[in-house]
Amino acid sequence: MDIQAYIASGVIESYVMGLATEQECAELESLRKQYPEINAAIAEFEAALEAGAMANAQQPPAVVQQKIWQTLQSEFQQQPTVNATFSEKGKVIALPWLKYAIAAAVIIIVASGALNIYFFQKINQLQQQYTALVNESNSLQAGLNIYKTKALDLYNSMQVMSDPNMIKVPMPGVKGKEDNLATVFWDKQSKAVYLLPNRLPQAPENKQYQLWALVNGKPVDAGLLTADCNGLCKLKTIPEAQAFAITLENKGGSATPHLDQLYVMGKIAG
Amino acid sequence: MQETIKYSEPELITLLQKRYESAFSYVYQQYSGALYGIIQNIVADTELANDVLQEVFVKIWKQIHQYDATKGKLFTWMLNIARNAAIDMVRSKGFQNNKHNDELKESVYEHAGTTQIATDQIGLRKVVHQLKPEQKQLVELAYFEGFTQDEIAKMLQLPLGTVKTRLRAALIQLRQMLKNT
Repeated sequence: MDIQAYIASGVIESYVMGLATEQECAELESLRKQYPEINAAIAEFEAALEAGAMANAQQPPAVVQQKIWQTLQSEFQQQPTVNATFSEKGKVIALPWLKYAIAAAVIIIVASGALNIYFFQKINQLQQQYTALVNESNSLQAGLNIYKTKALDLYNSMQVMSDPNMIKVPMPGVKGKEDNLATVFWDKQSKAVYLLPNRLPQAPENKQYQLWALVNGKPVDAGLLTADCNGLCKLKTIPEAQAFAITLENKGGSATPHLDQLYVMGKIAG
Repeated sequence: MQETIKYSEPELITLLQKRYESAFSYVYQQYSGALYGIIQNIVADTELANDVLQEVFVKIWKQIHQYDATKGKLFTWMLNIARNAAIDMVRSKGFQNNKHNDELKESVYEHAGTTQIATDQIGLRKVVHQLKPEQKQLVELAYFEGFTQDEIAKMLQLPLGTVKTRLRAALIQLRQMLKNT
């Protein structure tokens, strides 16, 4: 087949302008698949016809477009606009950034969570240490108060003992109780009696030590040694005595001493 | 031309088939004038030409899935829709255009309250009018009035082969004239 003659026959123009018969159309559509030059000739005439039509375009009235849009409005899809295209592009760029941002946020949250746990534990630990320190401080303070009281007691005792009116009466342990010792300080002027229990065994629960003044051979109650007496303790006032002695009596004391329970005894020096 | 985007033809067709208004709007901006031109070559009444243009764009929208790119360009397809719709309109209205009437060559004239266009004074039909009379007659009957070659042969009492040969010769001539414009 002479393709150039076919192309020049006018069949292509007939085809493009819609004037070819069905048979002509079928023949051309089959041939154009085999011969690129037929395709090229078709495209060339289409372009010429389009250019001619475009050059002779007539502006239709605006009302036509309005009517068309009224008819088809419901079928229109809202399309990606130019802006949307840009923003889509933006998304492509933004996406990796967003990914990193999310990853960073997750890391920060996890890290912050871990820090929270760490700080919580640390705070608990410090709280415990603080409580321990407060307790220790309290007990030290309490201990200090005890020493303060003791120091005050000792000071007061020293004041009493160093008084020039004081007569010191040492009472060593009697036979069989030589390890024991107590001392009486007796004020010559006020006749007040102070007892210092240097070395006396702990009194049993239901017993108490009782001090006796020996006045002209007779024992006179000079007071009970209470459990809270840690130093020099003031007992009863005794106007006159030649000696002092301590016995262990039932709680509350006795009217007369049980001599078998005599612990210490000392005479007042001439 | 307010459209700043340029679509490639396959892109445009894909977007039309996705029913995007933007693509359809682009097609209207781009091609409505050229299609209106060919419609006015066939339909003299302005109101009817407007109706045909509307119908053509509704058809383009509705029938875009039938468009076959292997058979021709989008514009060729649309141009044939416009031509056929215009011919159908003329036939359904029994509308008398000024075929063969060389006396009515005034560009525009008023008739019964509607605007009439001298259909052969614009566009492609104006180019066709530069053909030799026997060629012009054939292209007029075939292209602008939609008669088949069989019908034309009977009408003009010519052998079908002669009609075919003359028509093809006329179209080759037309092609040369389009090239030169």
